Amino acid sequence: MTRLLVWYGHLTTRRSLTRQGLLFLASGMLWLMIFLVLPGLVLTIVSFATRGAYAPMEWDFSLENYKRLLGFSLFGWTPDYLFILWRSIVVAFITTLVSVILSYPLCFYIVARPGRGRYLWLTLVIIPFWTNMVIRTYAWFLILAPELPFAKLASFLGFIPPGAPLYPNAFAVYLGMVSMFLPFVALPLYASIERLDWTLVEAAQDLYSSRVRVFTQAILPQTLPGLSVGVILTFVPAMGMFVVPDLLGGAKYMLVGNLIQQQFGASRDWPFGAAISMGLMVLTMISLQLYRRRSKEIEFV
Amino acid sequence: MRRVHPIITVMALFTMGFLYLPLVGVAIFSVNQARRGFVWRGFTLDWYFRLFDNEFILESAWNTLLLAVISTLIATVLGTVLAIGLERFPWSRRMNTTLDVILHIPVVIPDIILAAALVVAFGLLRYISSIFEPGLLNMIIGHITFQIAFVALVVRSRLVSLGRDIEEAGRDLFASSWYLLRRITLPLLLPGIVAGAMLAFTLSLDDFVISFFTAGPESVTLPLYIYAAVRRDVTPEIHALSTLVVLITVVAVLGTERLTRRG
Amino acid sequence: MRKLGVLFAILALLIVGPHLALAQPELKIFIWSEYMDPEMPDQFEKATGVKVRIDLYENNEEMVAKLQAGGVSQYDIIVPSDYIMPLLINQKLIQPLDHAKIPNLKNLKEIFTKTSYDPGNKWSVAWQWGTVGLMYRKDKVKNFENTWAMLFDPKHDADMGSFWLIDSVREMMGIVLLYQGYDFNSTVPQELKEAADLLITIKKRKNCLGFKPGVGGKNDVVAGTANAAIVYNGDAIRHITEEPDVLAFTIPKEGSEIWYDSMCIPAKAPNPDAAHKWINWILEPEVGAQLSNYNQYATPNQAAMPHITPEDLKNPGIYPTEDIMKVLHFTKDLGKDNKIMDAAWTRAKSH
Repeated sequence: MTRLLVWYGHLTTRRSLTRQGLLFLASGMLWLMIFLVLPGLVLTIVSFATRGAYAPMEWDFSLENYKRLLGFSLFGWTPDYLFILWRSIVVAFITTLVSVILSYPLCFYIVARPGRGRYLWLTLVIIPFWTNMVIRTYAWFLILAPELPFAKLASFLGFIPPGAPLYPNAFAVYLGMVSMFLPFVALPLYASIERLDWTLVEAAQDLYSSRVRVFTQAILPQTLPGLSVGVILTFVPAMGMFVVPDLLGGAKYMLVGNLIQQQFGASRDWPFGAAISMGLMVLTMISLQLYRRRSKEIEFV
Repeated sequence: MRRVHPIITVMALFTMGFLYLPLVGVAIFSVNQARRGFVWRGFTLDWYFRLFDNEFILESAWNTLLLAVISTLIATVLGTVLAIGLERFPWSRRMNTTLDVILHIPVVIPDIILAAALVVAFGLLRYISSIFEPGLLNMIIGHITFQIAFVALVVRSRLVSLGRDIEEAGRDLFASSWYLLRRITLPLLLPGIVAGAMLAFTLSLDDFVISFFTAGPESVTLPLYIYAAVRRDVTPEIHALSTLVVLITVVAVLGTERLTRRG
Repeated sequence: MRKLGVLFAILALLIVGPHLALAQPELKIFIWSEYMDPEMPDQFEKATGVKVRIDLYENNEEMVAKLQAGGVSQYDIIVPSDYIMPLLINQKLIQPLDHAKIPNLKNLKEIFTKTSYDPGNKWSVAWQWGTVGLMYRKDKVKNFENTWAMLFDPKHDADMGSFWLIDSVREMMGIVLLYQGYDFNSTVPQELKEAADLLITIKKRKNCLGFKPGVGGKNDVVAGTANAAIVYNGDAIRHITEEPDVLAFTIPKEGSEIWYDSMCIPAKAPNPDAAHKWINWILEPEVGAQLSNYNQYATPNQAAMPHITPEDLKNPGIYPTEDIMKVLHFTKDLGKDNKIMDAAWTRAKSH
């Protein structure tokens, strides 16, 4: 006799539950299988193929692409791509760091606003968050134009030739990245700071004379959940960003995202593009593992 | 209201200024008569009127909206059903973790990897059927794929917070599974579903990378149009278009806040 | 829930799409940006009743990538350059032309019916031809000498100011190879590596703003945000005509590229009939002249010559003199060596 169980007040068999459950799961999971998991597998397979003389892909399997990724190209050992991967990590890291540094004061300020004011400020932060990233990025063209004081100051200090705009270069890319990801950190962080127990902070202030210690002992641990979410939502996508470096870096400051896009575009080398994507995937997995180890019970949403 | 150290105030205001400076710049130059350069030549709404003459822009706007609406509808249905399936049934620990991981993939990975995978997958699917040419269908498929995950996560968290009591009470009153679902669970879940749908809708409107890799010649969306245009030449019409988009975003954000505050 | 519906309905009404009239036959053209008189699509529609729809690209590789990703059944006309023709033919991306539908083929100059890449016009009909060169602002640049060293040699930094390189693999690599004394179409790995390395050095100087494809660099020079750029001759000359005191174009002494662009019909074009009509229409003497008079490129159309603006005929920027022709090189298709060239280019752009 099949065992009965009570599930959510419902007397039923395990098998019946499983059948019902699968019915619910079926459509969504099927979709994700076909259009997420399967393409992922195909991408992995394609990363071992090669580009033909004319065609973007030929079924000629080898480790060629990975060797090229690691630097063993026709021109001797040229670790260009590893360099780009590294640069992407660095950019993502600095972007996250600066965003965090700017987000804390912002959140404290918002929390300190009386009643209605908070909603106003939060809305002000949400609006750029929802604004299209292409618009937010190209808007910097105006601010960094040669006629405006920022570019004039930079050329005065000798960083750029006179009359030139303050882009494309690394600085502009960082500006674009930080302005893009700041709300990604600020909003989850705010959720944590809102729930902050200020009595603990006051106790810490009584105990420690150093402001820094007050921060690290009383504030930081409490805000860790929100901070972690913000950090992972910034770091990983930042590594794969290509719009910002493309518009504000002008191919002078290439990141992994640009490299992949180039392989699927003008260079027409899908297998190599797939291999680079795999490389980026590996970096993503590593970051996620580190994140998982560090954090405790954290809900994503 | 707490007292805040002046440094914090300064930094906070600086940060907000930093966020808004570019957008304000675009708005200002969308009403400047000058075609190029930074001289203020007078206020004009000409550039905005020009937008409505431009067939491509109108078509891109239509495509963007169509894409967002269709993909959101399908993704919300699929995502909600998926969330119910995940949360309301007893799965083994391993099953739960696997499903959880698959669900989180589109949320966490850089979207360019997903885009690359779709390009390759569609390239191969084209050998089977030619409906997989780059175009609206591919874009819808791409959008739904990442939207499902977001919707499912939002709805699931709402399900978790609902708890068991109501449903158990319903069962006590001999409700059938279908009745339970339709009359009790779904209505209670509605705020979560709406929130998920709004999230999916906005993600689709804003999406650039997935659209870029799957778009065809007739399915250009506004973000793609703006990107191609600014790579060539930045014109006040683009500023006008962008400002309009930002204004619509503002309206949408305020609208969403109203709706969710009710729910 | 109902409120949402109303919201959507309002949004939809506001952005009503005027393109619901899809019953009309359409001609979809995929072409370089700023390459055609904007009046021409309407004129074609008046002459033949076929509506024209235009999509733009900035370089050949981008166009081919789009074709290979499915565009081959979505466009009726493409405008590829000479060197990419073997690829298009090999990959079966274009279809043979039906000469019966193009009676005006006789208007072409003879040299364009005997090209190395398509003798007999089986696949293509010439559109325009031109060169690549250096455009600069006379009001900002000092001590200009007619050499690529102005951009490539740091000692000219102070004189030259900021500049854009062109984001097009064969043209950019070719020019650097010429500058280093190698063949424009070299496939020797060592030479390509040196070219890529030199490009990297140039790119890293603060005077170099980076790479922009097609008309991007030219537009920045016109706007004043750059002092110089590597450009296509017609694009530059079109603006010089408007501002002759401020802008200038030249082909540096080390040499540069000469190219022929042609019209082709993709293999699975939705409306090849209309495509043939278009090609035939372009070959009309007045239309050909209108095209060249607008974009200030050189016309391959013999019958159009009498209608060309006389100043253009005398302009060495558009119709190069014998001496200049000597240092102009055609880009050649490299077959399987395309990979090496692309690898060098990726190297140059990624470092």
